[in-house]
Amino acid sequence: MSTPKDLLTIDALSDADIHGILKGAAEMKQIFCSGKSTPALAGKSVLTLFYEPSTRTRSSFELAARRLQADVTTFSVATSSVVKGESVHDTIDTLMSMHMDYIIVRHKNSGIPAVIGRHAKASVINAGDGAHAHPSQAFLDAFTLQEKYGELAGRRVVIIGDILHSRVARSTSTILRRLGAEVAYMGPGPLVPLEKFTGIPRFTNWDAVFDWKPDVIYLLRVQNERMDTPFFPSADYHNAFGVTEERLKRIDDLDLSIMHPGPVNRGVELCDNAMEYRNSLICDQVENGVAARMSILSYLTPRTQNND
Amino acid sequence: MTSTYIRNATWAPTGESFDIRLTPGHTQVVPEFGGITICDAEVKPAGQMNIPERGRVVDATGKLILPALFDLHAKIELEGRSKRESVTRTGQAAVQGGVWGLLVQPTPGFMFDNSASLDSFREAVGQRSVAEMIPAGCISQGMKGDQQAPYNTLSARGINILSDAGERPGNLLMLHRAMKYVAELDMCMAIRGDVPSITANTYMHPSTTSYQLGLHGTPACAEEIGLEIIVRLAKDAGCRLHVQTVSTAAGVDIIRRAKAEGCKITAEVALHHLLFTHQNVGDYDTTFKTVPPLRDQADADALLAAVKDGTIDCIVSDHTPCTPFAKKQDFPSAPQGMCMLDHFLPTIYTKLVQTGKLSWAELVQACCVNPCAIACPDVTNPEEPEGMPLMLFDPAARSVVSEENLPCGALNTPLLGQELCGSVTLPLQ
Repeated sequence: MSTPKDLLTIDALSDADIHGILKGAAEMKQIFCSGKSTPALAGKSVLTLFYEPSTRTRSSFELAARRLQADVTTFSVATSSVVKGESVHDTIDTLMSMHMDYIIVRHKNSGIPAVIGRHAKASVINAGDGAHAHPSQAFLDAFTLQEKYGELAGRRVVIIGDILHSRVARSTSTILRRLGAEVAYMGPGPLVPLEKFTGIPRFTNWDAVFDWKPDVIYLLRVQNERMDTPFFPSADYHNAFGVTEERLKRIDDLDLSIMHPGPVNRGVELCDNAMEYRNSLICDQVENGVAARMSILSYLTPRTQNND
Repeated sequence: MTSTYIRNATWAPTGESFDIRLTPGHTQVVPEFGGITICDAEVKPAGQMNIPERGRVVDATGKLILPALFDLHAKIELEGRSKRESVTRTGQAAVQGGVWGLLVQPTPGFMFDNSASLDSFREAVGQRSVAEMIPAGCISQGMKGDQQAPYNTLSARGINILSDAGERPGNLLMLHRAMKYVAELDMCMAIRGDVPSITANTYMHPSTTSYQLGLHGTPACAEEIGLEIIVRLAKDAGCRLHVQTVSTAAGVDIIRRAKAEGCKITAEVALHHLLFTHQNVGDYDTTFKTVPPLRDQADADALLAAVKDGTIDCIVSDHTPCTPFAKKQDFPSAPQGMCMLDHFLPTIYTKLVQTGKLSWAELVQACCVNPCAIACPDVTNPEEPEGMPLMLFDPAARSVVSEENLPCGALNTPLLGQELCGSVTLPLQ
């Protein structure tokens, strides 16, 4: 049976797909860490199409594609015809004429990768769309936690911060729950969707978080760029929702892990010392990002001619 | 000249049989039809009409007769299409759907804020449309929300209803003064309940679906607050208010209370708000992107109950043609709205009447009598009524909605591929 063409959401994947990609990530990590490459995508063309700024995701995908020996093209939206008003459809038509096999797309609007996926024969990988999904992040998070804890069933992860705007929260919570872990959300009231909509326990303070006895504290970046009107008094954030020195000590005492998808706002989500905390998995996440993305790229099956 | 006779047609609301002679220009109050006035026909209980042997006779046994419908809310403009073609095609869509008259909402291409645009529109309708089309005048100049349109000029051209296509002018002081002004002209303001600052950058009902899709939710309270604002302003100004496209259960309660207080208020619900919920959005199906958004089943149930008890006066199509390209975009970028006019009556019949949710009597009231009374009082004026045309409806007919039977020319309808019951004969000839 062939593997999926696109990676749009975690929900769209079977359990076999999820386990297949995670297993592949472990193999790819060995190749990546030994400084080698593998010809899994030799002769294929990979395009990164980022309509939103990105540092780590884009470079992580590009590095992953090169380690799989693919040709990598970077489509720079800021200098492209997109700024002249070209629609996403027409951009994709143009790019398909260049016979791309994989399109890695990020866009501020939820659902854009699905539109492209329906339209293109190339494999479309969602590298983040609005507040909808960020499945490659979910894979690197799940892989990082598997490395740390092995089996994830019964592990508890609390995701803290701006859940409302977070595609990371949606995708990572979905994959962790598929793998048997429990997830809770915590953050300022207006930024945490109601449990009746999410099916995920909802807290709004740290006491409730510690009472829930989590294994992992997963911090999200406050996405000021998505907040046209303030959602909370920003001066309160660090004291009310951030990892302060005091909370870091308690986290240390309880031997909890800290994760963050980056980029980090020091002094907002976490204090300086938290970056050097012994159980911080933040750098592991970045390293595993390349391995997870190598695995994703090699797992999907494009329907382009050069694949026939 | 020989007349056409229709023998043994069943009056839909009561099931009684009637014979009909088509007589252009004739109007008749029919007590058995709930006292409504019909035009261009004489009606007698079956067997009581003297049908000459030489006359042309249509046997309507098994078919229903009812007044043709009036739709208070339709947009006819489609990007890239000429205005004349929009008029022609929308007229064809309307009569196919059992609708003889439409209140056409102003849009950028049909900006009804001056007499020239009204004249050219009416000329196009006269030449090209098989259905009656009544323009709704703009509330504000260019629908920009800051200056009043020339209400006296519009009124002198026969405009009775004012609308900025659902939007409420942002300047409430301007609106309040406009309401006081048009109250003297006995014009009606048609507005939707909304607070734009709360609903900006939102795309669907806040729900499990909106969370999963990562789309910001449009809170119901924005509609309800907006409703209170326009109800209070209209009551104070003594202005007739028609509330457009109510979508929430609490909105229904506000209208019910305002009516009990004696406000001069009527209300409509879009057919799609009775038939669909936010769950239909599924995986970003832009066909189901509407403003206001599709809400919960509890809201849909409350809206239908309000139609039945008369709190909501009219069911409208909220017909909004969009190009396939526009609807193929991602959900936030795609335009709102769906096409429900082409199969309006067969849809209501199949989804609501056949399922026992709505009676024929309620349908005639909500889709014909009430909208006519609001938009064209001449038709229902008790002193000198002009009357409503009749149509025949064959409940046994079946059709599958496809590109071939969507005369409006836009495909953004959730009915595509569905089988509907009933077909319309309109006009009767």
